[in-house]
Amino acid sequence: MTSHVSKVVSLRSEAPSAPTFQAAETENAERKVDWVSLLVIAPAILILLGFLALFFYGVYQSLTDMRLGRPVVRFVGFANYIALMKTSDFWNSVRVTVVYALSTVFIEALIGLAIAKLFATGVTLARWLRPFILLPLVLPPMSVALMWTTMMNPQSGILNYFFSLVGMGPFSWISSPTTALISIILIDVWTYTPFFALIIFAGLQGITDDLREAARINGARSWATFINIELPLVAPYILIAAVFRLIESFNQFDIIFGTTQGGPGNSTSALSVQAYISAFQNLTFGRGAAMMVVNWLIVLIGATLMVRAWQAVRRRVN
Amino acid sequence: MGTALLATSVAVANSAAAAEMNWRQFEGTTITWAYDIHPYADALSAELPEFEKLTGIKVTPELYPDDSYWSKMTIQLTTKSPAWDVFGTGIQPAWDLAPSGAIEPLNKYLNDPTLTDASYDYNDFFPALRSALTWKMEDGQIAPGEGGEVWAIPHAFENIQLFYRKDILDNYQIAVPTTPPEMAAACEKLKAADPKITPLGVRGVRFWSSIHTAAVSIAQSYGVKDWVMKDGKLDTGLDSPESIAFHKDYVDMIKKCAAPSFANDNWYQVVDGISSGRTAMAIDSNMFGFWNDVKGQPASGKIAFAPPLHAPNAKSFNSNIWIWSLAMNAASEKKGAAWLFMQWATSKKVTLAGAVTGKLVNPPRTSTWADKAWIDYASQPEFNNFVESFKTTQDQAALAFTPRVGFGEAMNAWAVAMQKMVNGDDVETTLHALAEEVRAGL
Repeated sequence: MTSHVSKVVSLRSEAPSAPTFQAAETENAERKVDWVSLLVIAPAILILLGFLALFFYGVYQSLTDMRLGRPVVRFVGFANYIALMKTSDFWNSVRVTVVYALSTVFIEALIGLAIAKLFATGVTLARWLRPFILLPLVLPPMSVALMWTTMMNPQSGILNYFFSLVGMGPFSWISSPTTALISIILIDVWTYTPFFALIIFAGLQGITDDLREAARINGARSWATFINIELPLVAPYILIAAVFRLIESFNQFDIIFGTTQGGPGNSTSALSVQAYISAFQNLTFGRGAAMMVVNWLIVLIGATLMVRAWQAVRRRVN
Repeated sequence: MGTALLATSVAVANSAAAAEMNWRQFEGTTITWAYDIHPYADALSAELPEFEKLTGIKVTPELYPDDSYWSKMTIQLTTKSPAWDVFGTGIQPAWDLAPSGAIEPLNKYLNDPTLTDASYDYNDFFPALRSALTWKMEDGQIAPGEGGEVWAIPHAFENIQLFYRKDILDNYQIAVPTTPPEMAAACEKLKAADPKITPLGVRGVRFWSSIHTAAVSIAQSYGVKDWVMKDGKLDTGLDSPESIAFHKDYVDMIKKCAAPSFANDNWYQVVDGISSGRTAMAIDSNMFGFWNDVKGQPASGKIAFAPPLHAPNAKSFNSNIWIWSLAMNAASEKKGAAWLFMQWATSKKVTLAGAVTGKLVNPPRTSTWADKAWIDYASQPEFNNFVESFKTTQDQAALAFTPRVGFGEAMNAWAVAMQKMVNGDDVETTLHALAEEVRAGL
């Protein structure tokens, strides 16, 4: 199928006898089109074009002064982007987005690795815990946000109650600009760490006992075995999980909007949240679209770097 | 404005009274009515079989949770979808939707005697409510004044009041405060007496709804204007000396009185606090106090009412209003049937029926407030001084915001600035930055 498809469109041209004849010869090139193959892959191409068209329509909207509720839409070029970049709030949103995404992915990878390692030991308690640890992952993010909002209430929340039992707190959690970002990172970590644990556990399961046995015979301690053998072997798994989670974290909306709506002040106003507020609460759709395009660029850069890292690690492991 | 409104109202009333209308003229039609999940919707839903019997029109209610309703409404109307025929709205969302022609102006229906029953009596609605829902569009902007169109019909409304737990204030011998400094002092006394009690429940979320209750009502008494004309040009008054004075008092009051979760508190947290007794006082929509006074509720009989706070040197208070109204989708393909439904739903009979079941509170018609059935119901001992406080407040109640397309953007920025100031940012610096942001959006 692959070779067949590669021959869908082929251009055959004779070697030019002189540079002056090149243009004419190109025009005369015989074009062979495999219409049947084109017909077969047409739906896929159409769907792809549909996705791309929607994306580029979004980009176009970011170049207009589109306001929901106003009939006239004018093309304003990069005015939305320029206006955004002149405000400190926008750069704050970029900072919040990047800090949120990188922190959550890093912490989730670390804890996920620890949990996966625990699962891999086969300890009875770990076996029992396995189904429960996955529970946060199957909860709708908005429910997670509402649940944590209640638990993090500085006065009546259960978290402060527990801390009070050991003489700590009360903490402001999501109600203070100094702790709000850390608090929502904590919620994300609670929700998505099981995803990392699951993927890394699968990676650890793929390592045969021969390797561990060989290391043990050669005198390696368990910690050294983990660092020098297991960790490099599961690194591609960690990185592929990180790629998915990084993309999701850059786009995270439900948890942030469901808990703080971007506040207090602008302390948790990630780009996705601020774009929603611009588009659907302030009705300045063009500006909201510009924020989403910037967010998309950040996702693209982040994901590209992670994929490259994953490819490099995989090559090294192979 | 008042004269113009009167002229419009009289014209509407006269022409509507001229002939008989046939309630069954759109028999067999099915229409969709969209609304927030709300006791007001419950009140109307309970009466729907009566409407269907009267007109032969079937009504399909589409009710959405509050958090998602407004976005859904914006999308539905701006995309010109004909799926909804009648929808519930407030005044402010209607300002942003009107320029695109998404909302059907209603004068022609009100003035058509074949479509409006002679007994409808549009002038029976409180003048402040009619005034708030009447304007014309000029160069894409809201222009209240002569010749305005009616854009929606009041269904029920809220005025902003201070409501409080009588049992708590009596227990600690605290007088009902009337100004922000008095409130701050009362809060300190309450906290000293019982640290577990939150003295005052106020909305603080990062959305203009947290401004439209306590903040804007009290701000008005300080002389704060959201928009002003300076040298013939529109400007914001949010960095004026009056605004700085108000914010200093208000922020100080919030710091001393509100829950630590202020930035996350919406109306449901305010209501939960007052009904559970964790909060001693609240400044919010008065009917929240009323609904918790209803027999059988845990706080029944414990919540009493007072007008909102005012500036220490002001002679009187101000109270903002929020009007739940019924509007018609301009893209509706069943406008006649939609109008009959709106007319019936806001009629004297349905308004009274909803009020005496304790749901359609506050009723928007003056005739309801003169009706013995409603007054007897609302004057029952468990509602304490609800009726008196309503009457006192309603005299001073009016829309506190300047009607304007783009209202949400500026007022959301105000809510964000309020959070910053409560969290310790300098009041003057924050207000100047807010004003610059608002000016940039003009």
